[in-house]
Formats: sequence, structure tokens, C-alpha cells
Amino acid sequence: MNFPTAENADVALLLEGTFPYVSGGVSSWVNQMIRAYPEYRFAVIFLGSRPQDYGKIKYELPANVVHVETHYLHGAHSPPPAQGKPGDSGAIRDIAELHQVFRRSQSNTACAFGQIAELLKRGEIDEEFFLYSRAAWDFIRHHYREHCTDPSFIDYFWTVRAMHEPIWVMARIAANLIPVRAFHTISTGYAGFLGSLLRNRTGKPLILSEHGIYTKERKIDLYQSQWIGDNRNVFEKDPTEVSYFRELWMRFYTSLGKLCYHQADIITALYEANRERQVQDGAPAERTRVIPNGIDLARFQPVRARRPALPPPILCLIGRVVSIKDVKTFIRMMRSVVNRLPEAEAWIAGPEDEDPGYAEECHNLCESLGLTEKVKFLGFQKVEVVLEKVGLVVLSSISEALPLVLLEGYAAGVPALTTDVGSCRQLIYGLTPEDQALGASGTVVRIADPQAMAAAAIELLRPENWFPARDAAIARVERYYTQDLMFDEFKQVYQQALGEA
Amino acid sequence: MAGIGFEIKKILRRDSYLALFSAYAYAGIIGSGPWVLSILGVLIIGLISLGVVLPHVLITQFQVTVTHLIAMSLIATGFLQLAFTRYIADRLFEKNIDIILPNFIGAIFVTTLVSGLIAMLLAAFAFPQQGAVYRILLIANFVVLCNIWIATIFLSGMKSYKAILVLYTIGYSLAVLGAIVLRHGGLNGLLIGMLIGHFVLLSGMALLIIRSYPSTRFIEFDFLRKNRMFTSLIWTGFFFNFGVWIDKYLFWYAPSTGAPVIGIFHASIIYDLPIFLAYLSIIPGMAVFLVRMETDFVEFYQKFYDAVRDGGTLGYIEEIRNEMVSTARQGIFEIIKIQAIAVLIIFVAAPAMLKKIGISEYYLSLLYVDVVAAGLQVVFLGVMNVLFYLDKRVIALSLTALFAGLNLVFSLISIYLGASWYGYGFAISLLLSVVVGLYWLDKKLAVLEYETFMLQK
Repeated sequence: MNFPTAENADVALLLEGTFPYVSGGVSSWVNQMIRAYPEYRFAVIFLGSRPQDYGKIKYELPANVVHVETHYLHGAHSPPPAQGKPGDSGAIRDIAELHQVFRRSQSNTACAFGQIAELLKRGEIDEEFFLYSRAAWDFIRHHYREHCTDPSFIDYFWTVRAMHEPIWVMARIAANLIPVRAFHTISTGYAGFLGSLLRNRTGKPLILSEHGIYTKERKIDLYQSQWIGDNRNVFEKDPTEVSYFRELWMRFYTSLGKLCYHQADIITALYEANRERQVQDGAPAERTRVIPNGIDLARFQPVRARRPALPPPILCLIGRVVSIKDVKTFIRMMRSVVNRLPEAEAWIAGPEDEDPGYAEECHNLCESLGLTEKVKFLGFQKVEVVLEKVGLVVLSSISEALPLVLLEGYAAGVPALTTDVGSCRQLIYGLTPEDQALGASGTVVRIADPQAMAAAAIELLRPENWFPARDAAIARVERYYTQDLMFDEFKQVYQQALGEA
Repeated sequence: MAGIGFEIKKILRRDSYLALFSAYAYAGIIGSGPWVLSILGVLIIGLISLGVVLPHVLITQFQVTVTHLIAMSLIATGFLQLAFTRYIADRLFEKNIDIILPNFIGAIFVTTLVSGLIAMLLAAFAFPQQGAVYRILLIANFVVLCNIWIATIFLSGMKSYKAILVLYTIGYSLAVLGAIVLRHGGLNGLLIGMLIGHFVLLSGMALLIIRSYPSTRFIEFDFLRKNRMFTSLIWTGFFFNFGVWIDKYLFWYAPSTGAPVIGIFHASIIYDLPIFLAYLSIIPGMAVFLVRMETDFVEFYQKFYDAVRDGGTLGYIEEIRNEMVSTARQGIFEIIKIQAIAVLIIFVAAPAMLKKIGISEYYLSLLYVDVVAAGLQVVFLGVMNVLFYLDKRVIALSLTALFAGLNLVFSLISIYLGASWYGYGFAISLLLSVVVGLYWLDKKLAVLEYETFMLQK
């Protein structure tokens, strides 16, 4: 595959495991963004884990992508030949200071990191220094003694090495990148670290746009991962404590996140709760702002006209049939709803192939509750078609960020019933006083509470409640969550970063 | 691998002075077995031929021939000794058992080819006064000896010390027996006896190896392929043997100290006897060397690497490192102590001893120096052994090269300085090499964990 290359570009997008190799929500968003600003020339820097994990690119490259680089964090380079050397103790002091700062949850990493970035730039610390020097060895030994609660030194040693391996890859990327006017990273983590390095190296502004919260997602991965060892024996083990290496990895990602928050000039979140979390994790509040995702109104406005005059008693869950969506609570809710509203139906519009075991459990649950006639599994559907016929969009998820289906429902004139996760409260009741003044565009209930959800559904379906909610929904989406608004806001971000404002 | 350490520990477990004594005696015999038996064999054959093989010069010619053959064969096979043993050990570690026998046969083939060529050249040009039988026996003995060293080093690499000892005893008994029967045949008779003994010894060892490492293939030259043997070990083996013999060669061929005995084989009446007697004094040192290195040191060596691999704490790893260092130190000091005792005993007893076996007291001062030197050689071996265990190949190479170079230079100087300095060249070169070796060992042991973790390939 021949990618375009250029001498320079306006904005370098730092993309970890997303566009253009992996399809998904974030990748589509990136694609949408690049196409929205034909006036800017983009450089795309893709960071993957290993070359064999990715196939062909999944998106056609927009014409204003003038430069593409693909890099892999693991297994793409071999270390330099082993050669013992003493190593610079001054550099070690600076590194120790940065680790100190990482350990203190409240301190700012910017100063200590700046020194490290400077040493990396001047080549005073490099991979050989980390891998082979006496100074690095003494440092690792010291920290094992000071902090490690897992007995196995060799596991500690290799965990530390594995953790630092990508740093050298990124130092090389940073050293060789074409000149650009601003950096835009779509996550913290490794891409965020690269952004921090580049920010320090070039002095050009760094924009951070987070969709999920990278650190949180990594923590969930780490809790589930089997490969992290725990060598404590029965007497050493405190069951309330996680394995030291798990904790170490978590702290590593937290530190990467913190670094990026401290370095970034502009930090955007999708919704208010996430912005608060960023601030809590170290982002300076004055640099943060909320820029929600927007939808293309034109796609959904025509649906309103095709809808029946009265709200049909059809509750629709649009989403994949997986455990995070908690489809079972949705089905249990339906039992109560049908008891009181026999004509009601529930539709589940989304693919079932991602977790077939869970999907089967859902089908079995319908059978045992006697709901096979009432709950319909539709498989993947075009959203516009479904929205034409339903009375409520329901989300029973245990975790969400900013669910686009709610906004799409709003645009089509369908209010929503959701659990209290992610941005749902903000989307239903409004964020600012003006927003709240528009009224509630649905109802929010606790997670995993089918009774409350059923009661709320029945209430919401009453015309006297339903019509005001619909009006609020349409007003809210048209006022706050359009694609045009999002593009305008990011235009401002880019202008500020590029000094055009 | 039921090594010597296991056997010795079994004896030591009985926990009495007698057990301790038998353990050391056992180790002493096994550790120095091949050397001592070779020297003893040659000496005994000389003794039993006294008055039978006439004129007397024929016995000297026999002894000088065998000495030269041993020296040349050791130096010639030096290139293979360490490198090939390491090659085999690495294949065993990979559990690639199939490859061992064909490559052993390959090594024997190459050795036979090269040694045969050297011996034939010698036989053709170097002994104009000798008949065809002597020349053929020279070739045969040389080729068999070269192969014996390869087989011996192979088996000792596999820690089959007991088998080596038994086979050497049988081989040299046969050589002596053969010499008794054939001594009327003069020089050639003695050489035939020697050849029979050596041949049986070689066959026994080869048989043992063939039985221990069965394979479907007969011959292979995998060990000669690029990067299969360590170049550093090839040269270490050569320099060590070269270093051990270079002073002898200098004394043989220097006009002031040596004289021709048979063909181009010279001997040094003044230098040879003391040094061979001195080598007999290292038996206790070799015993300590074997017990300390193969039991105590190896135990902590294995514990160290187990602790590293199996996730020991850093504190434990360092503790074991310290234990390992202290066993290495203890081992080397004990070799020094025991050799010092041997030296003292020789100092006290030598005058009376020499008188008793009818050797001139003229040799006395040289014997003293040589006894010290031979003791140092055991210490040197101990240092080298630890270096090999730690896989410090470059240091081992530098150290043997240093020893060879120093022995060459200092022995030349000692010959130039005159009779009262003889032997000092050998002794001082060993002393310096041991000191440098200990210095390096100290440095390397101090950074053992660092190099184990940070610099592993």
C-alpha cells in the first residue's frame, strides 16, 4: 500500500488503534472530521500494537490527508546490541523526579516531563541507556526494593522493560515527524504520550479529544487479563489487594494519561461528566471544553412526517446484543410493561453475533417469561426505518459515553428512556439552565432496575407526557447536537491551535 | 546428569573424617587421574625397561618420543577441546541428542585427518636415522593420542569422571603389560605396548560415547559450520595448551639447556625431570578443586540461575550470589592452602627423596620452583573453571593468551639469565595470570546480576 507523504502538514492526527485500519465509532468520527475541513492538510500517524494485528485500511483516505505514517509499538524493531555502560547519573536523577511526580497524585508532571523530553531529544537517554546501563539497573533495583510487593524480581524486571519498550518507538517517531502546525490526539495512552513528546519537542500546540476514557478502558482490560502474573504465596497474598503488576500497569496508563492532560493545550470531552473526570485525573479545568458529537439532522427530519399521529406502544432498544447493553433488564422490564399494557411490544434492533452465548441467554429469558410474542429480535436494521415505527428509544446499558441513537431518535421525534450512565442524564434533562428549560426529553432510571424502568415507560407513553418529551427532544437535538455545531466548535479549536483566531 | 558432585556428596553424607578423606581421595584420583596415569605409565615403562632395553639411550628415546607426542597432540587438539565440548553441551541443553554421535564421529574424523597429516610429515622428514617401523608407530601413536584427548574432554564435559578413570587405568595397565612383554623389541617394542594401551583406551571411550548417545546417522560436520562453535573457545583451548607447553619446548630446543635425543625430538635433562615430578604434587590440589567446584560452587551456581529464572526476590538472588562468590573464593583459597602444604612437604622431603631414587641434588632448586608453579597451575584451572561456568569467554580467552605470552617471554628470559633462574619463567607467568584472573573474576562476580539481567543476549 502506497501512502501519500508530504514535506509538511497543518494538523497531525495521532491515532492509536483506530482510523484508518480499524472501523468503529471513533474511526468514523475521525473520517467525518477530516472531510469536514478540506481547508486543512492532515498528516495521519497510526500507532498499532503489532503489524500482524491489522489488515488493509478500512477507509478511503480523504483527499486532504497528505501524509500517512504507520508505526507499531511491539515487535517491529529489534533492540540494539547489548553493551554494558555506566550511564549518566544526572539523567537518572531527572527520571527519578518524574517517577516521584507520577506517584504523587496531585502534582504537575509538566516540568519533570519537559526535562526528560529534552534529554530524549538530545539523545542523552536512549534505548541503550535504559536497557544496558548500570545506572538504569541500579534504578530498577532500587525501585523494586522500595515499592514492589510481588516477590518475583524477574517478573518485575520484564514488566518494567515491556512497559518502556514503546517509549523508544515513539521517541523515534517524534524525532522524524514532518513539520506540522498542531498535533491532535484522539486518546491519551501511547498516542497521548507521543503528542506530549511532540508538544515538548516542537513547541507546537497539542489538542486532546477523548471519546471514551482511555485510562478507564485500560483498567477494565487489565482486570480481565490473564497474562499478568501474581507470584505472592498464600501467606503474602492479601485478597483485597490486586496483583502488584496489575497495579503497576494501571499506574503506568494513569501516568501516561496525566502526562497528556498536563501537556495538552486544548482538551475536549464528549459530555460534561467526562470533562469532570478529566479534570479529576489532572487536566487543568481552564483548558477543557465539552464538544458533543453531532448528528446529520437532514437524515432524520423526514422521518417525523412518516410517523403515526399517536405514539405506538413499541419500546425499542437499538444496539448490539451484548452484556454491556444489559438487554436482560430490558426484557425483564417488558414483563411488567405487558402486564399493565398488553398491547405493548419490545424490539431489539442490533446484531447478535458478537456474543452468541449472551444472545442465546436473552432468547431463553424471553421464553421463560412468556414474552416470545412480545419481544422481537430484529437483527441489524437501518435506524431511520426503525425510528419510523416506535414509541420510545430505550437504553438499558450499564456503560455508555454519548450514545448517538438517542440523538438520532430525538431528531426523528422519538423521546428516550435510559439508565443513568455516561451522558444520558445530560441528554435527557439538559446540561445548562437554558438547556434544562427545554424540558425533559424522556426519563432516566437507575441501572438494572426493571420495575422502575417499566413504570417510567408506561408513564412516558401516556400522550400527555409523551408529546412534551418529543418536543423537548427535537428542540434539544436541533439546538445542541447537530453535526454543524460540532464542526463549528472544532473549527474554533483548530483556529485557536493554529493561531488563526 | 549423575556427575562427580553427586558421587562425592554421597560419600560426604556419611559425615566422618574417614568419609571426608575418602571423598577427597576419590576426587583426587579422578581429578588428576588421566595426567597422573600418563606420567606414571611412561615412568613405569621406563623403570621396568632398565637393564632390559639396551642401550639405555633407547629408554630415553622412548620417553622423549611419548612426551613429544603428548605435547604436540595436546596443542594440536587444543583448538577443538573446549569449543567442541561446549558445542556438545549446547546440543544436550537443546535436547538435540540425535546430533551428538554423528558430530563426535565427525570430530574424530577431522582429528584423524589433520593429526595423520602432521604425523606423516614428521615421519617423512624428521627422523632420517629411524626405520620404517618407528615412523609408522609414531604416526599411529600420535593419531590415537589426539583422538584420546577429544574423547577424554568429551567425557569429562559430560562429567563421566569415573568411566574416564576406569578406562585410563585399563589402558595404561595394558600399555605397561604390553611393554613388559615386548620390551625385548627395544624402542619399537615399547612403542607398540604404548599403542596397544592407548588404542584400547580410545576404543573404550568411543564405545561408551556411542552407547550413551545413540543416533540414526553416522557422521556429520555440523560443528564445523559457521557460528556453531565459539571462536573464542577455539583459541582459548589452543592458548591454554600452548601456554602449558611452551616453556618446555623452549628448554628442549635452547642450545644451552636442551639436546637432540631422537630425530628432531629434543629433551632437556635439567628441566624435564623436576617438572614431571612437580606435576605429581598437584594431586591433592586437583582433589580440592574437584570437590569445591563440582559440589559447592555448582550447587550455588545452579541455585543462582534457578532463583533468577523462577522468580526469586532480588534479596534472595543477591544472597545466593554472595554464597556463590564465597564458595568460589573458598574453593580457590583451599586449592592454594592445600598446594602450599604440598609445597612445604616437598621442600622438607625432597632432598631425602631425590637421594633415595638416585637423582642429583642439582635439581633441587628447580624442583621447588616447579612445585610452586604446578600448584599455581591448579589455581589457574580453578579460576578458568569459574569463568567458564559464568560464560565469560572473552576473559577466558584473554587470560589464556596472557598466560601463553608471558610464559613464552619469561621462559626465554630465564634461559638467558642462566641456570639459577630456570623454572621462574613458568612460575611467574602463572602467578601473574592467576592474579589477573582473580582480579577479573572479582570484577565480574560483583556485577553478576547486572550482567545476567541487563546484558543477556
